[in-house]
Amino acid sequence: MSFAYSDQDPLKQTYDAIVVGSGATGGWAAKQLSEAGLKVALLEAGRAITPTEFTEHTPAYQLKYRDHDPEISRTRPIQKQCYACMEYNYTWFVNDLENPYSTPADKPFTWQRLRVLGGRSLVWGRQSYRLSDNDFKAASRDGYGDDWPISYAELSPWYDIVEKYVGITGAAEGNEMLPDGQFLPPMKMSCGEVLLRDRVKAKFNRTVTIGRAAVLTQPHNGRNACHYCGPCERGCRTFSYFSSPFTTVADAQNSGNCTLITNAVVAHVNMDNATNKASGVTYVDRLTREVKEVRGKTVILCAQALESTRILLNSSTREYPNGLANASGALGHYLMDHVVGGGAGGELPNMNEKPNANEPDRPNGIYIPRFRNAPSTKKSSQFIRGYGYQGSGGAVFNFGAEGYGATFKKAVKDGSYQIGLGAFGESLARWDNYIEIDKSLKDAWGIPALRISMTHGDNEKVLMEDAAAQAAEMLEAAGAKNIKVQARTEMPGMAIHELGTARMGNDPKKSVLTPFNQTHDVKNLFVMDGASFVSSACQNPTLTMMAITVRGCSHLIERFKTNDV
Amino acid sequence: MKRRELLRAGMFGGAAAALTPALAAAQTKAAENADEKSELTPAQRGVDASNELKGANWKPLFLDEHQNETLIILSDLIIPATDTPGAKEALVNRYIDLVMAAETHENQKAFLGNLAYIDGESMRLYKNAFRYLSREDQDDLLHTMAYSNSGSTWTGEGSSADVGHTNFEQLKTHIGVAYYNSPIGTKELGWDGAYSHGVYQGCAHSDGSHK
Repeated sequence: MSFAYSDQDPLKQTYDAIVVGSGATGGWAAKQLSEAGLKVALLEAGRAITPTEFTEHTPAYQLKYRDHDPEISRTRPIQKQCYACMEYNYTWFVNDLENPYSTPADKPFTWQRLRVLGGRSLVWGRQSYRLSDNDFKAASRDGYGDDWPISYAELSPWYDIVEKYVGITGAAEGNEMLPDGQFLPPMKMSCGEVLLRDRVKAKFNRTVTIGRAAVLTQPHNGRNACHYCGPCERGCRTFSYFSSPFTTVADAQNSGNCTLITNAVVAHVNMDNATNKASGVTYVDRLTREVKEVRGKTVILCAQALESTRILLNSSTREYPNGLANASGALGHYLMDHVVGGGAGGELPNMNEKPNANEPDRPNGIYIPRFRNAPSTKKSSQFIRGYGYQGSGGAVFNFGAEGYGATFKKAVKDGSYQIGLGAFGESLARWDNYIEIDKSLKDAWGIPALRISMTHGDNEKVLMEDAAAQAAEMLEAAGAKNIKVQARTEMPGMAIHELGTARMGNDPKKSVLTPFNQTHDVKNLFVMDGASFVSSACQNPTLTMMAITVRGCSHLIERFKTNDV
Repeated sequence: MKRRELLRAGMFGGAAAALTPALAAAQTKAAENADEKSELTPAQRGVDASNELKGANWKPLFLDEHQNETLIILSDLIIPATDTPGAKEALVNRYIDLVMAAETHENQKAFLGNLAYIDGESMRLYKNAFRYLSREDQDDLLHTMAYSNSGSTWTGEGSSADVGHTNFEQLKTHIGVAYYNSPIGTKELGWDGAYSHGVYQGCAHSDGSHK
């Protein structure tokens, strides 16, 4: 399937596929296409990475500012809102001064971005949950929005492929809202979590399960099992959590068919207007600021939902004046991000357990699947859709202990047994949540920046209020004391689950992408990331993004075989 | 050899040896660009700054002599040496001075305000700066601030912001962060220096034990 490829100057080749972005989905696209024999150029806006720069075993006292470097707040005031942006690794995250975006004054949005090989897969939360037809076909059930053009049955085999390769620890539960998958052995629950699980089952008939996470509990595909050191967001020398550079991207490179081009900040897709096909991409070298071009037979955007759509919006032509592949007018619209801010926490007395800095640190928590507006539960009159919870329980040091002196010091060390639940709620797809190009704002490479307009609506607010009340009730049932309830609606972006803006659908007048992530308007142009989501569901989205990518790439490979690109 | 020792001794060296050729080699080659190496954080470059504050000729970068001495006394009162070393031994004043030297003007001002508040109260109640009070008077003064009075209505004054407590808590937070992230403070929490302690075992009780 190789045509004009040689091992010479990577910019003088015409690749079968140009993949933009090397994160969770870009890695998969590069792996799948290159292993099928296609010649692939994988473009990453950031630098390369090596395991020697991982710092998961470095104690804070070895850092100059012990992980409290004031400089980070100056250059990365937005990125710093994410717990994973630390003195250890902050240069993985973008410099906010070089990478601006704007919002209306009354619509704040936090946008967390990494520019380094692997992107956000280096620091992601690793929670991996399937969607069900209660999500894919939610519109048919409650009348809001649109169904996805694919069903669970169609995506299920692709979930299997991804899970078997990635390695997902978890427990099968037979829950109607959360399909089971291909699991590695589950991690263990703490005593407090077991107590919560049993009481919640008995009183509410709800499921509390151990988190399903992309972390290995046994050796898997050449990677070692987790050694429970804790801070995955600083990297993992045993590659025990899934990140693309040392899995999918490495496989792509080892295929001999993938050329990795780092420091390539893609500005726009190039078009051959005569054939209405994409001919490649133009990028700015991040370090030299040189403008360069890569040619390809297909272009696959995997740059993260907002970045992929930004590239399309910046690729306007005479034929597509409002953004490439935007005949529908839907490009940029239906932006979503899970609503967070509702939950509760409390103290479990009588657990007789003290915190210990030498205990193995489990990089995972517990999960309560959505129980609101499920087929077997009563329909809510207050809201549609629902939320799931992530949480944990265990003995923790009591740094907030009252007083001072020897009693304070002892109280810190004695700690307390805390348990908490935080909700992730569905963010409804709304036309008036959108992104556009801010014509007055450019990034450090001269590429027009985004203006993001998003608010959470009334449904999301009520979801968080209900989530807070329900969390408190469940904790109370478990015997928790001093329960503190939080019913906030955090600003959009806080979940770091940006979705939509290039939705898939069967109707080209209402959607940007086909069910195989191909743009309706330009046959050889694809978007394979969270931009394609029709609805957000409430489950963490990365697993679904990867499954959709593998499905889309498989379809593309078949089309290459029949010369139909 | 116990299970944990086995894990510590064998697991990581073996893993690195087995995995580097297969998964890491391509990325190692790709990351040889000098410009990119300069973008690594000091921690990613392997810089160990843990001894930087221990020099015999250490001088404050931000605090003046009075502020530094006041901070040393405060840190010693808030986290004293017991059967383990306290904040004074952990040199938390030096760490806080380093951070404050790099902080924004606004945060510098807030921190100095916290210190000045303590001295102000000391002058008001004892006619002397805090550092010159007897240990007993220092302790008495801190005690008036250490526990919140806001929300208390027994005096009939109603709820109001407790400025003294707020200042105290802000100072305590600075001192706590400095101490518990220091080598001494990390040891205080029990850490033995090993980065892994085996597989998480979770609840080992039989089903239904937790009722």
